[in-house]
Amino acid sequence: MTVTPYLVASLGFAALTWMVRGRREAYVASGVAGLVATLFLALLLDPAASISFGSIELAGSAYLRLFLLAATLVGIGLALSGLAGESRDHGAPVILATLGIGGLTLGLADPLAGVMAGSAAGAVSAVITVVPTGDRAGATAGIRGLRAVAIAAALGIGATAWIGRDLSDLQAQPVVVYGLAYLAMAGAVAIRFGAIPFHLWAARLTDVIPESALPVVTVLAAAPFAIVGAGWIEASTGSLLVDLGTERGLVLAVAVGSVVMAAIAALLQDELEHVVGYSIVGDAGVALLGLVALGPESGGAMLTWILLLVVGRAAFAAWAASVRASFGTGRISELYGWMTRAPILTAAFGLIVVAAIGVPGFAAFEARSLLVGRAVEGPLAPLVAIAVLAPLAYYGRLVSVGVGRPRYLGRGEDWRPNVEPVDLTAPLAWWRQTWQRNRRFAGSVVALALGLLAVATSAGAFGAAEASADAARARGAPVIASPTGDPGSEPASTLEPGGTD
Amino acid sequence: VTPALAGVALAVVVGGVLAVSARAPRSAVFGLLIVLVGSSFVAEPLPESLGLAARLVAAVLAGELLWISVRGVEFLTDGSRLGWPAEVLVAAAGGAVGYGSHGLGAPALGPVEAQVAGFALAALAIAPLLNGNDILRIGIGLNLLLAGVLLVAGALGGTWTPEELLVVAGLIAVVGGSVAAMVRATRSDGGLLELSAGMARARKPEAHPLDGR
Repeated sequence: MTVTPYLVASLGFAALTWMVRGRREAYVASGVAGLVATLFLALLLDPAASISFGSIELAGSAYLRLFLLAATLVGIGLALSGLAGESRDHGAPVILATLGIGGLTLGLADPLAGVMAGSAAGAVSAVITVVPTGDRAGATAGIRGLRAVAIAAALGIGATAWIGRDLSDLQAQPVVVYGLAYLAMAGAVAIRFGAIPFHLWAARLTDVIPESALPVVTVLAAAPFAIVGAGWIEASTGSLLVDLGTERGLVLAVAVGSVVMAAIAALLQDELEHVVGYSIVGDAGVALLGLVALGPESGGAMLTWILLLVVGRAAFAAWAASVRASFGTGRISELYGWMTRAPILTAAFGLIVVAAIGVPGFAAFEARSLLVGRAVEGPLAPLVAIAVLAPLAYYGRLVSVGVGRPRYLGRGEDWRPNVEPVDLTAPLAWWRQTWQRNRRFAGSVVALALGLLAVATSAGAFGAAEASADAARARGAPVIASPTGDPGSEPASTLEPGGTD
Repeated sequence: VTPALAGVALAVVVGGVLAVSARAPRSAVFGLLIVLVGSSFVAEPLPESLGLAARLVAAVLAGELLWISVRGVEFLTDGSRLGWPAEVLVAAAGGAVGYGSHGLGAPALGPVEAQVAGFALAALAIAPLLNGNDILRIGIGLNLLLAGVLLVAGALGGTWTPEELLVVAGLIAVVGGSVAAMVRATRSDGGLLELSAGMARARKPEAHPLDGR
């Protein structure tokens, strides 16, 4: 089966769910049904199947299938996590639309079309700030997110249109043209991920949307755009003899700055949603290293890391949402003793940390090591290798608070399930009552399930590393006329204007 | 320069000036609608009918959604603080840069009029994007930016294929619809379209410890 049914189902259910948003139960039922349907369609996706609409090709791949499976599971988890959190609205229609357009983005073989579709995914994801009912604060954060999406789209479309034609008669210095195009696309990806210093819009989001919605905008919608952007960079500049050292240095500074500064910011924050937000920024910084370390191997490593970014950060967000729902607070200074009161959340947190940090031999750990090794050279390399482990600091803080003596936490609800025998005379009423009684438990289980998925992804289960490597090779193949020259010939940066090979 | 194409490009730029200058929300949306519809025709040769129709439908849909979102709005949007004559000069400057840099260093496959209009729209979008204080104005700015960059892409790469135009249409409709959703949400909160001064949404009661203090 091609990716088309997945796209149709996800967008169809998104529209249906949006239309019934005024009726709470229909809204929830339609959203959950849509997410489950798309999960089945993702399972049925044939990696080798492709379909063409005129000049546009929707190509399947093992990575596309894996990404859609992981993203759909994440979408289900985030929607359930949002439902489990009291007074926390969820955004099933937005998640569905983001998944659908994200799938379209990854399926499109043409990078310009992919960039546009990826931008549309970002635009639709921003609507999560105002569903099902919005207010001024949500709209303000949403329009700022939308602004970031539009600027990134302009950069990405401009870069792909500029380079995506015959440049054999280039009248400008190749290093200027390709350098600016590279910077434009890398900047677009950095903006979409909310990398420092482009993080203000993402930081504002954390103030107004629930934890469970945050990864939808900053990860789920941004990842397909980043994958397309990385593939385009590899295809258009990877085989060049143009020296892009300065430009790569700038992107490296953004990547490393994001990793380090985000870890520091997460350590200093007192609200869990801000910690989640900055942890996304930090992990996105690692992904950006893939734009510096060009080459098929680095591309594969970046795609592997992006898979973990999607699943791992969603698990962390679901965990944070469940902590808030369980204890009635998201302030770390008020969470002393949380570990002793929430065994399931403790297990989930452990899995999330293992997945994020990894151990030697895990696909994500090796991918991160490869990215650091290829992107950074010289004396800075060991420092960056240590810096990417900086998240241990804020995870450690959460552990130290968690094992501390409870100061403010009450006992709260029982963390165990509370299920009474089914009342066959009123099954719906029984279901509502059971759900209400087990919100905390349900949220914890969702976090635990996503944590398990994150560990599996980090370990490279389901052939993630191989699928990523294949996808990177396919996306990174040079497809345009460019001043590549013969191997060993003079770097194009030294050519005169108008002179290519 | 083709006179007819230049006329359409001029109309697009005029629409852009109206969109960023008008203080009445519906006038601003009307200006944006002119931009979105008109920019579909700034190509040489014109796209095939299927793609063109898709783009037109998307442009009208985006405009319609924005139009609905500001229906009954009596209060004003910020508009341009400099006034429309200054915006005309900004557009002229952007257009001149676009004209002088047609192809951006290599032979272009599309018309110079598209690049002129594209650069003019991008220049007009800068102030609302950087300095916009209300939802609608920022939304119009980002729509203008996208319309501008799509025009420049057409100027560089030539006429869009029908299939590419389907994706372009989707982008235009989604962005327009998203902005309309933001405007609608702001209005549901009552009052003006201005941005929220304090970003933090009021925390629900369960956001605070219930006991143990």
